[in-house]
Amino acid sequence: MLEPRHSFDTPTHPQPRAPKGFSHINRYWDKSQGVFAAKILPGEFYVSLAGEMIVTVLGSCIAACVRDRVKGVGGMNHFMLPIQRENMGNGPAVFSESARYGNWAMEYLINEVLKNGGDKRNLEIKIFGGGRVLENMQQIDVGQKNIDFVRHFIANESLYLAAEDVGGVFPRKVLYFPDTGSVKVRKLKTVRNDVVFERERNYAKSINTRPAQGDIELF
Amino acid sequence: MTKILAVDDSASMRQMVSFTLQGAGYEVVEACDGQEALNKAKQSQVDLVLSDVNMPVMDGIALIKQLRTLPNYKFTPILMLTTESAADKKTEGKAAGATGWIVKPFNPDQLLNTIKKVLG
Repeated sequence: MLEPRHSFDTPTHPQPRAPKGFSHINRYWDKSQGVFAAKILPGEFYVSLAGEMIVTVLGSCIAACVRDRVKGVGGMNHFMLPIQRENMGNGPAVFSESARYGNWAMEYLINEVLKNGGDKRNLEIKIFGGGRVLENMQQIDVGQKNIDFVRHFIANESLYLAAEDVGGVFPRKVLYFPDTGSVKVRKLKTVRNDVVFERERNYAKSINTRPAQGDIELF
Repeated sequence: MTKILAVDDSASMRQMVSFTLQGAGYEVVEACDGQEALNKAKQSQVDLVLSDVNMPVMDGIALIKQLRTLPNYKFTPILMLTTESAADKKTEGKAAGATGWIVKPFNPDQLLNTIKKVLG
């Protein structure tokens, strides 16, 4: 007798609560994968503790997937380096404002994984994106700069790079499952609309004009 | 020369902070967690501590508490430099004896101005 065909049209279990500080992230039931998903946009990150899938679409941006491979806690970010604030006086490129922005994007994600039970010694990193996708950007290969940065960061922090799918000329859709560490990547050879590019352009504009700076409070 | 103890478990962060501070003429001692920072602070007096909060082995809040029990660190400025912006964490830091709270990302000029201010 044939088993009844499983349908993913409706959730099979209640949606897990968003971790503290992530209520702004778009979370939904993904019919195609049969899981709850969190979709992150340029400049955002998300950490899942409850078997959710994390989804993003990348052009020249990078997504780093960071996970404690023992505890199954992990998350994903989506960022690019600001290209108009390359230099910081006469300092080396690794201390440029541009690289500092990338460091913070990585640190925020890593800290969130650690705060949720991860151990730095058990972290594995997977990186995606960095395509030569954004055109008209001063002839600079933004994607390659992002790839170079994230590879340098991982080596500098002595982190374990478990997998990468970077570069090339196509945008990517990335589905990440932090509990198992598995990733599904689809190259978008035909993009039906330019939403991906538009989002990245707007993000690039915002990080190029708005200085990254946190609050200071003296007690 | 004014000596600053920079504490962060991220090598990239320690390098960025040291680069900024050394460029302004400070001597920098680095530590990668609270325990290493405490050991270094005991070995040689520093004028200011700039510390991350979330670190392995000993976190930043525990470091403040330990430092404040040492007679020669009762009044030394301790600034927290962290991704943590939650009010309860700040309150915890303040209660432990932190002098100030700087949320990353930091602007180098503002960081240096704040340090100058708390050093008097």
